[in-house]
Amino acid sequence: MAICTGCSLLCEDIEAAEKDGALSHVKNLCRKGHGHFQAAYTERTVPMIDGEQVDLDRAIAKAAEILKSAKSPLLYGWSNSTLEAQAVGIKLAEKLGATIDDTSSFCQGILMERILSGKLPTCTLDDVRNYADTSIFWGSDPSSSHPRHLSRFSYYPRGDKRQKSYEEERTCIAVDVRKSATANLCPNYYFQVAPGGDAQFMEAILAVLEGKIPKVGDKKKMIGLGSILKKTEWGVIFAGLGMVYSLQEKMDLFERLVAKLNEITTFKVVPMVGHYNMRGFNELLLEKTGFINRVSFKDGKPAHGPEHSVVASAKTCDAALVIGSDPFSALPFGTARALAKVPLIAIDPRRSLTTDGAKVVIPSALSGMEAGGTGVRMDGVKIKFEPIIKSDLPTDEQILTRIMEAI
Amino acid sequence: MAAEVEVTVVTMRDIFQDEAGRKSRFSDEYRDQSALIILDKQDMATLGAKDGQSLQVKNDVGSVVVAAKTSEDNPHQGLAFMYNSPWSNQLVSDAVSDSSIPGFKSIKATISAAEENVTQISEIQARIKG
Repeated sequence: MAICTGCSLLCEDIEAAEKDGALSHVKNLCRKGHGHFQAAYTERTVPMIDGEQVDLDRAIAKAAEILKSAKSPLLYGWSNSTLEAQAVGIKLAEKLGATIDDTSSFCQGILMERILSGKLPTCTLDDVRNYADTSIFWGSDPSSSHPRHLSRFSYYPRGDKRQKSYEEERTCIAVDVRKSATANLCPNYYFQVAPGGDAQFMEAILAVLEGKIPKVGDKKKMIGLGSILKKTEWGVIFAGLGMVYSLQEKMDLFERLVAKLNEITTFKVVPMVGHYNMRGFNELLLEKTGFINRVSFKDGKPAHGPEHSVVASAKTCDAALVIGSDPFSALPFGTARALAKVPLIAIDPRRSLTTDGAKVVIPSALSGMEAGGTGVRMDGVKIKFEPIIKSDLPTDEQILTRIMEAI
Repeated sequence: MAAEVEVTVVTMRDIFQDEAGRKSRFSDEYRDQSALIILDKQDMATLGAKDGQSLQVKNDVGSVVVAAKTSEDNPHQGLAFMYNSPWSNQLVSDAVSDSSIPGFKSIKATISAAEENVTQISEIQARIKG
């Protein structure tokens, strides 16, 4: 069986057959995974310096030269690299006195920090499959973002204690600003919130749980929600970007709500991580530095703060290495523009807006397809994978090791 | 004066757009799946817009031309949706809150009819390059 690294579910049941060095057929992929696997055959990168194709050795040497001469380099990306590559990346940042940050910095970071520090109770997706009777998709839409989430873990499967599953034993609730594809699965338990209104909605749930009248929402529906939550035996909240972006500095309120729910019954939180190994990077950096992201080694000792986020550092760095990420597509215009002004090294298997704008492009093997390694699923479960297609391309880990040796 | 509508744009994910982007960020398929704004029926009527028509979405950060699409959701006048993409990110400010997270899901913008075609990915690349 192969592993799909298309998202942080890291589906382990992919049947892939290889013929003459290429994939001949693949089974069990979702639509997103299908796009991810097709990527092995479209828009592959080649080694480049200033838009001219060069050999790999020259591209790696140029990357090392840029990083060595930089005073404030930024190393960014990491969520689509293996744990093994991330470990080398952290060492490289240390050696360079660089700033290192990943995609969690502008997505799930503030939630992940609370999960990894134990402020929010969490569980594995296997626990969800086996025990959960209430799944709340809050600002998350797995039907679009993690297409096999509902069928493998959170709604449809017959788990150890949930043999009657979605027909009788599982309730699915959606809290969102729009009627998402997932909200359509639970029309009776879809709670629409105004943009930025998640904090108010949390206050309303807390009021209902304390037997008070909620200030927002349809009162009857809110009281109904309160009674579902109170009757829940084992619940889980799948917190998505909708919730995180809406709450931001009010994340303590979510902690309060989860604590309150746990006074009544069992409720866990699982972060709906997007990239396959964002959590891996957060765990690894936490272990090495005490922080999950936004770390600078400029003064030797790791320093952490918003000034070391990719959004801030893009404006202060004098060179950047971007690995497995496309900030020119995914970050605000001003951040992309700032990164475009410095010598940029892009390590990526595939062409992107960022590789097009990079001074140095280094092609790498696709994790999970051409390169083996380890990833950490959204729930913290480590998953190892082997390459399924033969490739002469170096892995991220090998490229980073070579850059480090040349510095 | 041509009609204008003030909206808050919330970005979101879509499985079809995601698949297209994984195959190629430079394809017509990815552009067609990304360069869209989904508007409430009433806002579409105010603009006199029909599905597929070019609309300019602009704010202090930037401006893009995208295709109009009528929402099938409950009424949400003043609230618009775009798929998270290089098109939506042209409008996202890098001035951040205390948590240092840009406002990807709370973009204030003004919409009006556009005569130009949908902004091409090559134009976005040229703007980033400056």
